[in-house]
Amino acid sequence: MDEFVEQFLVEARELVEQATVALDALDRGGEKPREIDSLFRAVHTLKGAAGIVEFDAMGRAMHAVEDVLSRLRTSPESMPPTLVVDSYASIDQVTRWLDEMQASGEPPKNADAAADAIIRRFDRSSHGSGTEPSQVADPWLDRLRKAHPVRFVESVCAFLYCPAQDAFFAGEDPLAVAAAAPGAKTMDLWLANDVAFDEFDPFSCALQIVVLSDAQASETRNFFRDQIDRVEIIDLKGPASSPLSPTARAVLDAQLKMLAFDAQHGDEGRVEAAARVAVNVLRIAGLQENASAVETALAAPSVDRRREGVMGRIRDAVVQRDDVIIQHEPAPQAAVAATRSLRVDMDRIDALVNLTGELTVVKNAIGHITGSPPDQVDANAIRVDLRKQHDLLERLVQQLQSAVLQVRVLPLRHVFQRFPRLVREISATLGKPVAFVMEGEAVEADATVVESLFEPLLHLVRNAIGHGVEHAVDRSVVGKPATARITLRAHRQLQNVVVEIEDDGKGIDIERVRQTAAARQLASTDELARMTEADVVALIFAPGFSTAAEVTGLSGRGVGMDAVKNAVERMGGTVTVETRAGRGTIFRLVLPFSVMMTRVMTAEVSGQVFGVPLEAVVETASVARGAISTIGAGRAIVLRNRTLPVLTLAAELGLPASFETASEARLIVIANSDQLVAVEVDRLGERMDVMLKPLEGLLQGMTGVAGTTLLGDGRVLLVLDVQGLFA
Amino acid sequence: MTVALENGIVVLSGDCPAGDAEELLQHLLAEPAAAIDWQRCDTAHSAVIQVLLAARRQISGPPGGEFLRSWVEPAITRARSSI
Repeated sequence: MDEFVEQFLVEARELVEQATVALDALDRGGEKPREIDSLFRAVHTLKGAAGIVEFDAMGRAMHAVEDVLSRLRTSPESMPPTLVVDSYASIDQVTRWLDEMQASGEPPKNADAAADAIIRRFDRSSHGSGTEPSQVADPWLDRLRKAHPVRFVESVCAFLYCPAQDAFFAGEDPLAVAAAAPGAKTMDLWLANDVAFDEFDPFSCALQIVVLSDAQASETRNFFRDQIDRVEIIDLKGPASSPLSPTARAVLDAQLKMLAFDAQHGDEGRVEAAARVAVNVLRIAGLQENASAVETALAAPSVDRRREGVMGRIRDAVVQRDDVIIQHEPAPQAAVAATRSLRVDMDRIDALVNLTGELTVVKNAIGHITGSPPDQVDANAIRVDLRKQHDLLERLVQQLQSAVLQVRVLPLRHVFQRFPRLVREISATLGKPVAFVMEGEAVEADATVVESLFEPLLHLVRNAIGHGVEHAVDRSVVGKPATARITLRAHRQLQNVVVEIEDDGKGIDIERVRQTAAARQLASTDELARMTEADVVALIFAPGFSTAAEVTGLSGRGVGMDAVKNAVERMGGTVTVETRAGRGTIFRLVLPFSVMMTRVMTAEVSGQVFGVPLEAVVETASVARGAISTIGAGRAIVLRNRTLPVLTLAAELGLPASFETASEARLIVIANSDQLVAVEVDRLGERMDVMLKPLEGLLQGMTGVAGTTLLGDGRVLLVLDVQGLFA
Repeated sequence: MTVALENGIVVLSGDCPAGDAEELLQHLLAEPAAAIDWQRCDTAHSAVIQVLLAARRQISGPPGGEFLRSWVEPAITRARSSI
């Protein structure tokens, strides 16, 4: 990937986060100049960054957004709710572009349509200060229409260009510029001020240039992008893309504001009034379907449901769901690609630099010892000196290891930040109002863990909204608030990072899990009857299990909870579920803080040493051979009142059987998923912390080996992937 | 000279740069009744055209240059007729 693109991706994601945080604050209501400012700056910088990687479509789109925001920044008006919706949509589009870029390494080629959709949406005519009638009927446009009645109808866009007063001093020739605009076909000239000719100032530009053009408004806007504040561009064919006039938008905005206010103060009568107004506005705008949708929402049984429904349908009308830029599914392959570059805190780099300095001192000290003249050598003194340096070196290497790990550490915010928007989209699609809470975004973990978390979390969150929480009506029946609550939280627990997704829904129906498991033959009826509730619930992680009665586009996409389990286990983590009927469900992911430092235990078999990750080892035992009994082709042992199968590591690895026949067998008891297995080895070795290096090149696809590390004597230690080997 | 007074007529010729605007204005102010002839004018800067627009004098055309002929002259004509 191009170095600039890589840098762009890192930066753009941070800017998207900044914009999202600001929008979330604005969405919660209230007038917040600081948030608008922050949003504006994020969009402005995104535009600049897009220019650097020559991603013109995104640059154009961000320009349109910036343009509207910049005017809002200086006006006393508050941010209209429809503008919040539009801004979310444009930021979401940026995220999709970034995902595509991350997968392909270059700006998407077909981004123009989506960019044009954003530009149409942020057109001055639809987001002008909509309440002023002068904005609706521009006098210059009228004058132009009267001057060219035929050409006016045939044209695609018209623009009024008022060059800066000092344009002549700046060496500009405004007429030449205007005539060079794409599609320009007719030009009219007016003077801005009507002064007496003998007082006329020939050095000051007072020209107003009006042009009818055959080019799209977006194309014209792009042409004037450097002085967009001096041009007013009107899309003459615009109504097809945005049937809502600024006035209509302003009225709908007012209804949304009132309904949102209403939700906090609970005046029921206003919901109907607001809905009626909205229906009329939509009818007049020719949006019959949207109008009917609002009416239908008004028929809902509870007030909360009515309010949510009406607000949702009004937003739909504003957003135009068939618009190009509304797509719910992120490109699947894009989410898999991992970032190859990350931003590191300067302090952490400084720590590394300092350590390097200290290591150099130790190196020099050792050099000094070895450099002593041979006749003055006192073996004992050298030994003392070396030991001293060795102790120092040991401490430094330890510090170096942890410093290097710190460099790879990222806050979970990187993955959490993508969820508020996804939750909004999913809850809107399913019509289930959800309050989404995030806690512990600042908790850190290894970059690999953080990035691999997105897919499993997305699945769990989808599931929570799709199946976990009830519809608002059903919730009010059982006395819960209509808006469901989903919490995504993280905290550090010793060497692990715990991530939880909690909902306050109906809980998992254990009886139904039993029935489904029986129907899918995941376990026999007898087994199911004997299982504890917790064991039954854990069956949802079994491959091929899905309780979804209705297969929606969101959950039940052919990947079940087993995909979540696999993804988490690949990171060296575990996933568990806790559920209480009627109260809700918690999915708990326990992940290693770092995937690099692994505690392993060595074991010897057939003269070779292998490593086994300590996290998989339950215990080690030396037992008399007689205690192992042969059952059919296999062997088993009773250990702590449990019967465990006994495997021989040599046989599993395809190595010749050992000749050593000690009277005692050495066993390592390994937890493989939820099953225990005793593995016989020749000799048990030591425990150590190692930096696990993944297999590369030809060996990459090899199963059963998690990675390699170097031993003290320079030998390569193969660390076994227990899950892969005994699966 | 691209701006000159010839027999009581202000004549524009060749390529008239932005600097000509002031000279043109001085000529027109000095001769309040003078007409303008730009038949030999090939190009003119916006500043010059702005003076022509403000002067509202009789202009003999068409101008020599293509851009002036097809874009600017009709615009000036329309501007005068609409006032």
